[in-house]
Formats: sequence, C-alpha cells, structure tokens
Amino acid sequence: MKRQDALQGSLPLLVLKVLNRRGPLHGYGIAGHIESMSDEVLRVEEGSLYPALHRMEEERWIKAKWVTTENKRRARVYEITASGRKQLQAEEGRWRSVTAAVHQVLEQA
Amino acid sequence: MSWLSRARNAFRAGRVESELDEEMRFHLEARAEELMREGREANDAEREARRRMGNLLALREESRDVKLAPWMESLWRDARFGVRMLWKDRVVSLAALVSLALAIGACTAAFLLIDALILRPLPVRQPERLIYLTYEEGGPGPATGFSYPMLQRLQAASREQVELFAASVQGRDSAVFDHGAAEDVHGQFVSGNFFETLGVDAALGRVLSPSDDRAQDAGPVAVLAYSFWMRRFGGSPSVLGRWFQYEGKAFQIAGVARQGFTGVETGTRTDFWVPLTMGRAEAMADWKWQWFRILGRLRPGVPAQQAQQVLQAAFRNARREWAPAAFGANDAPEALRDFLDASLQAQPAAGGPSFLRQAFARPLWILAVVAGLVLLIACSNLANLFTARALARQREMALRISIGAGRGRLVQQLLVEGGLLAAAACALGLAFAGAVAPAIVGMLRSPRDPAYLDLHLGLRTMAFAALAGFAATLLFALLPAVRASAADPHEALKSGGFRSSASHGPLRAMLAAQIGLSFMVLFAGGMFVLSFARLVSRDLGFSRDGVALVKVRVTDRNAQDTRLTMTELLDRVRAIPGVQSAGVSEWGLFSGVGWRDNVLIPGRAPDALESIVLPVSPGFFRTMGMRLLEGRDIARRDLEARSEAVVVNQAFARHFFPGEDPIGKQFFRPESRLPNRDYATSDRTGYPQRIVGLVRDAQYASVRGPVDPTYYIPLNDLAEGSLAVRTAGNPLQVVPQVAASVRAFGHGLEVTEVTLQSRLVGLALLRERLLAVLSGFFGLVAIVLAAVGFYGVLSYSVARRTRELGIRLALGARRRSVVRLVMSEIALVTAAGLAAGFGGGEVLSRFVGKLLYEVKPADVASVGLPLACFLAAAAVAAIRPALRAARVDPAIALREE
Repeated sequence: MKRQDALQGSLPLLVLKVLNRRGPLHGYGIAGHIESMSDEVLRVEEGSLYPALHRMEEERWIKAKWVTTENKRRARVYEITASGRKQLQAEEGRWRSVTAAVHQVLEQA
Repeated sequence: MSWLSRARNAFRAGRVESELDEEMRFHLEARAEELMREGREANDAEREARRRMGNLLALREESRDVKLAPWMESLWRDARFGVRMLWKDRVVSLAALVSLALAIGACTAAFLLIDALILRPLPVRQPERLIYLTYEEGGPGPATGFSYPMLQRLQAASREQVELFAASVQGRDSAVFDHGAAEDVHGQFVSGNFFETLGVDAALGRVLSPSDDRAQDAGPVAVLAYSFWMRRFGGSPSVLGRWFQYEGKAFQIAGVARQGFTGVETGTRTDFWVPLTMGRAEAMADWKWQWFRILGRLRPGVPAQQAQQVLQAAFRNARREWAPAAFGANDAPEALRDFLDASLQAQPAAGGPSFLRQAFARPLWILAVVAGLVLLIACSNLANLFTARALARQREMALRISIGAGRGRLVQQLLVEGGLLAAAACALGLAFAGAVAPAIVGMLRSPRDPAYLDLHLGLRTMAFAALAGFAATLLFALLPAVRASAADPHEALKSGGFRSSASHGPLRAMLAAQIGLSFMVLFAGGMFVLSFARLVSRDLGFSRDGVALVKVRVTDRNAQDTRLTMTELLDRVRAIPGVQSAGVSEWGLFSGVGWRDNVLIPGRAPDALESIVLPVSPGFFRTMGMRLLEGRDIARRDLEARSEAVVVNQAFARHFFPGEDPIGKQFFRPESRLPNRDYATSDRTGYPQRIVGLVRDAQYASVRGPVDPTYYIPLNDLAEGSLAVRTAGNPLQVVPQVAASVRAFGHGLEVTEVTLQSRLVGLALLRERLLAVLSGFFGLVAIVLAAVGFYGVLSYSVARRTRELGIRLALGARRRSVVRLVMSEIALVTAAGLAAGFGGGEVLSRFVGKLLYEVKPADVASVGLPLACFLAAAAVAAIRPALRAARVDPAIALREE
C-alpha cells in the first residue's frame, strides 16, 4: 500500500522538518514547535497529528522510543530516520518548486 | 497501513493499545501543564486540554474496548450502535425495511405455496417409494383415470413389483349427517389396502382394511379425516358407530385417521374415505367407467422402471382385449390406434398426485422467480443506501483504522447494521407471507370449492425466510462494508468525504443492474396483464354479462317428460318483470361439464373428430346472446315430438360441410357412449339429425383456443338443468323471484345453485388472473423500488458534482446543458440496464410462453408498456435532482470546499 502521492499533504513534511532540525521530540512537542515556528498560523490538530505520526512510523520515516522525562513521566519520542531524511529532501524540493510556481503566477498575473 | 503491519499489530494488540493510551495521556497532561503555566486553574486547564483532544479520545476508547472485549460483546455493541445509526435516519430506514420485508415476504409466500404444493412429501411411510400411474392417449395431457377392471388386471400382473391401490377423483359433494341438511364434503372412494399401504393408522377406532372392499357393497363403513372430525364433530369419540348418507348409500363411521393426514390428492382436503366397492355397481364391471387414480408402493428393491414395464404390458393386453367390442366400423381408425398405443407411465408420487399442481406448478415457479427478482431489486436499493451511508462515514472509518481498529471489525459493524435490518424484515416478511399465502390459495379455485394446502409456518418456511434474509444481508451490506473499510485513512482524513471519483463506478453498475431487473419484472408482469386483459375482453361468441344461471333439479326420480316440464317453467320465468329472456340447457357453458361425441355422415368414412353436444331448450340462443345466422331456433314442437332438428355452429358447418349450405343437411349422432349401451356392437348407425339452424361460433369451456365444432340438440328428459335468465340490470336481483316461481311451480323442482355466467367464465381464467394480479403487483413494486434507486443515485451524482457544475456555470455554461450533462450520464446507465433487462425478459418469456394469450415478447405492446411505465417513473424520479442541478449557484458551490 505504498503510495507516493499519498503524502502530498504538508503535515508530514512539517513533522519531518521539525524532527530533523530539533532532534527527538514527543508528539506534543512537535505540535508546539510547528505552531510556534509558524507564529501560531499553522495549528496542528491532534486528530491529524497522531494518525500521521503512526503512518510515518509505518513507512519507517521516523522511529519512536519511550523515554522518561524530567518529571518522571514516560513519553513517546519520535526521531527521524535515514529514509526519513531522504523523504524530507524530496518533499521539501517538491514543495519549494510548487510554491515557487504559485508565487511566480501571483507575481505576474 | 499495510496488511502485514496490521497483522503484526493484531499479535501485539495489547501493547499497542496501552502505548497509545499512555501517549495520549502524556499529551493531555503536557497540554494541561502548559495551560496552567499560562495561568489557568488546574481543573479548567484539564478540561480545556480534554476539549482539544475531544473526539479522538472518545474514539480511542471505543476502539480499545472493542479490541479487548470478547467478540460477543462487540456484536452487542455493534447492534446497539447499528440501531442508533438506523434510528438517526429513520425515514430512510423505514422505507428500506418495508421494501425488504415486502420482498422477503413475497419470496417466503412463494416458498410456502411451492413447498405445500410441490416439494413437501406426503406425511406417510417412505413417500419416496410411492408412484402413481398415467397414460398418454392422444389428449392434451396425460390421462389419470382408471377403471375397476383395469385395477384388477394391473394388480394381478404386478404383485411382485408393486402394491397398487386406488383413490377416486371426487369434487365437492354432499353428505347428510344425523338427518340434518346436506353438507358440502370431500369424500373419497379408496381401495381396502389404501391405509395399510400408505402406512397411515387410526387416531380413533380403525382404518379401512382389505376386507372392507372384498365384494360389492360389502363394507358400508367410513373413516374420517382428523381435521374433519375436529371441525365437524369437535373431536368427540362418540362419532364411532354413527351413520350418514353419501352418494345414495348409508355409511357407518368406523374410525378417524391419524392427525395430519389429509389424503393423497395434494390441493384437496379429503373429509372421509369409504371403500371402493361401495361405488355404483355398474362402475365396477365396466372398464369405461374410469373414475379413480391408481397409486402404488414399490416393493423393496424394485425400481420404478421395472414396475412400469410389467404394468405397461398388462395395460396393453387388457386394452387389446377390450378393443374389438369398443371400436367398430363407425369409428375412425385413429381413435382405435390411440386406444391401443396408449403407453402407461409410473410417475413418482412422493408429494401425492395433484391436478392442482399440474395446473399451477409452472405459474407458481414463475411467480417465485419474479419474487426473487424483486428481492434482488430491493437488495440493490439497500446496497445503494448502505454505500451512500458508508461514504458519508468514510472519515470516521478512516480515523478508526488509523488508530488501530481492524478492517474486519468495521465490516462487522456494517454487516451487523444490515443484519438488524434484515432480521426485522424477515419477521415482518414471515407475517406477510402467512397472511398472503392463504389469500393466494383462495385464488386457485372457485370460492365454492376452494383448494386446500397445508400452509402452517413451519421450520422449513422459517429457515427459508432466515436464509433469504441472510443472503440479502450479504448482498446489500457486504460489498459497501468492504469498500468503506478499505478507505485509505490518510486520503480520507485529509479530504473528508465525497472525493474519490472511483467510488461512483459500483453505484452506477448497481443502478444498471437494478434497472435491468426491474425492467424484467415489469416486462413479465406487463405480458401477463396484457394477456389477461385480452382474454377477458375476448369475444366469446356469446354475451357473458347480464345472465344468471339457476340450477334446477327434478327431485322426483319417476317424473315423466321433464323436458316439457322445463319449458312450462320457462314460460313462468319469462313472465317475471325484468326478465328479458330465458332458456334451459342441460348444463351451462363454462360449467365444467362436457359431452363430446363424433358424428357420422352418410356415405363418408368415420371422422375421429369429436364435436361438442349440448341439449338446449327454445330461447337458449337468444338468452345467451348467440346470434342465429341462418335457419331457425330449436322450437317447442321439436321437444314435444323428439324431432330430428339440430342447430350447428359455424365451425361444425365448416368442418363437415365446407362450402355448402348446412341447412337441411343430415347426419347421424351415435347413441351416447354410456356404459352398457355400446352402439358399435348394434347394427344401428345412431340417431338421425337434420340441421335446421346455423348459430355463431361460441366458446364452450375455455376462453382460449379456437371454437370446436358444436351441435345443439333439443332438450332431452333430464334430472337437472341449467336455467339461464337474462335481465337488463343486475341479474341476481331477479333470482329470488325466479326461485319463488320454481317453488310455486311445483312438479318436484328445486333450485340447487345460483351463479352468474360471467363468474363461470372468470373461473376458467383463474390461472391467468393469478399471474396477472400477482405479477402486476410485483411490477408495481419493482417500478417503485427502481424509481427510489434512480432518485438516490441521481441525487448523489448531482451532490457530488455540485462544485464542477458551479465551475461550468461560472464559465458560462447554460443551465440546460448542465442538466443535460448530469442526465446524460445516468441516461447511458439506464439504457444499458434496459438493454440487459430486455435480454433477461426475453429469456424469462421463453419460459412463460405457453401461459400467454396473443402476447409475444417481441410485440410493440409487450415491450412498449413496461418501457413507457419505466420511463414515466424515471422521469418523475429525475425531476428533483434535475432541478437541483439547474439551480446550482456558482458562487455558493465554489465557496463550499
């Protein structure tokens, strides 16, 4: 069931980007980072986030492990994998070319 | 998610669950902490965190429960959830329930009737070893009547192979119990070994035994059927030893047969059995009295084929012996050949031989097929409904899959929902079948002599209904369920609903199938309705309306010149105000009685053709509306002088005197072939007859087919006659006065039965009426269901394309072309469905051809009628979706997504 075009949405791209730049994070942290980095413009719904995380885990773009946080709570932490980095590169390239094209249209029209 | 990883998840389900749980809890707490840091109260913060988590958590809980709980509990949850889902959409659900209940009920009713008439074996010992005998004698169907001498011959020849026994073929009859009034009963003459051979014993007293019919009139005893005993005598044991009158003889009740045994003639309920040798003495000695069926039980190890060979040889031997005395120079050689060449067959009789089955097996199978088609149509409608529902819930499904719910789990959920609907429909359908089946049995025979079939809703019927419901559930719920559960979570969550255009294909295929099936049902129904309409309006050559038939019996057995008494009665009846004309015939047209005889024309070879003979009084033709074309009516002086005068019909004139004027022609009528009056052995040629009149062709016993050559002779002395009375208004209104004048007239005449000529004609069309009424009804149901399905798919199609239509309109497309766009897509599907349905209808019609009258599948009318009905229904169903498509507002449509 591997579908190339199934990941055209931007959420996985953002998740990969955040994980790549910030290192291992738990779901809550990922959501928080995306929100703060976009100046609260992008708001991540839990209903989309966790299914997306589990999907990406299935695709082996990220891997998860359990860690104990400073206040003695177990948290599930996600980390980007090698194939995730490759995916990120491809996705990012595609995203940039699309936005550039849109930008170009907006400028010239 | 790949199948592999899902399988992996299934094995470590517990761990996945608790991990998911913990992860969610962590998220919740982290959010709450942050909110508290921002200065919220602890409770408030937690509530807010939970709110943001919202639905997802609830769904998580649900899917965890499902995984951990045993399967039974999940079923229960699904059932409750299913009821909620059905209730949410209760109008649609109710419509679905009614259509499914109607379809399952129709199938179950068909099964109930077919089971009772065709499938269910007799409640006797080893019914599969029973046979009954038939023979082909050049007639339209196999003959089943045998004589006593023939029974003895066959028994003597086949003792090693088969134990033969006899059962008379009786219609409704009358018996007198305890000196009361005559009661309608079904008695049956049976040979003494009847009960013994069948393996039926007594509930009370004894059954008949071979010693009861050893000699003529030796055993004046009767055995009652259990149901008759209950109905007539309240199950009282004191009936034993009581006497009653039947067929002019006295019988003593010797016992009651075991419960549940209603005789061997399926379709008729026998009330009591009496020994064969209690029949008329002349019926015992003469082989021409063929008045009972022969059945038999094969001896152990003897195949039916072997018994048939032995019986066949004995049958032919007996006929060869009897032929010289029966056929003479006046008989056509073909008649003799048919007599000698008749071949005997041993038919399986596990279900009991049955005239009713012979007449109605095919119509019932046809109706069962049509009912099955209606069930398929209802299923495809429900499948549409379930598919639409499943699509609407795709997001929910996808979410549940993404958080770990198995696909099987989702399929189960939808199947349970469908199963609930089907179970309710089965219960309703059973009730429907139980109410409708007896009404259909009531349509099989005249109300005076109704057919009887055991229609209790037994295990077989319930099992059938359950099976139908189960199959229906699989048909309408499984496919949508599997498709919906195959939703790609990512795709669905992102776009939320009506997106993938691929999901539209099966809907269209289903609609095409549904249209095809409905057209088939309509096509079949239309042909039967047309056929019936043509039969009903067929010119019979006489006028059936406005004529009452009053049966008049001469009670005094020694009365002389009763033919003249009848003409005097006629004078009185004609004087009654309102009576336009009156006439007497020995029996009425379409009364089920018939007499055929051949005629001899001097100087010509004998003709095998048998003409219909009917003795009539003056005024009969006028009363029946049969036009006299030439010559004169039978006159009173013909009756008085027993003259040679005879009136013939056109078919008679055409056959015997082609191209000639029949008036004045002479022929001989053989003395009737009554037993012991064998004309061929005497040197007489028969009664001379001279044709005095030519009357228009009129049907005699059947609405279909050509009119047979018929001749009408002057009324003879008679024991019972049919008095036909024509009035201007409702003929039943003058019947009381007619009955009064019969009473006042005296001469030992009494009225025994009153009916209408139109009613008798109607009885000849029972089978056609049954097919027309029921298949017409099914056609109606099919077209309503098809219209509903059509409407649903069209609405869905418009809703799905609203945005596209909006764009088109925004770009300047005209509204008319937008509507055409939507409709043309459906029109293509409809055309494909109609073409398939027409093909199916052709196949179906090949199976029904014989039952149709002047209707061919390729007729303009038989194709045009259902097509017109269908297109009208489709047009009505399309109005709303078409208007919706035309009223799409581009601005709103584009803003929607």
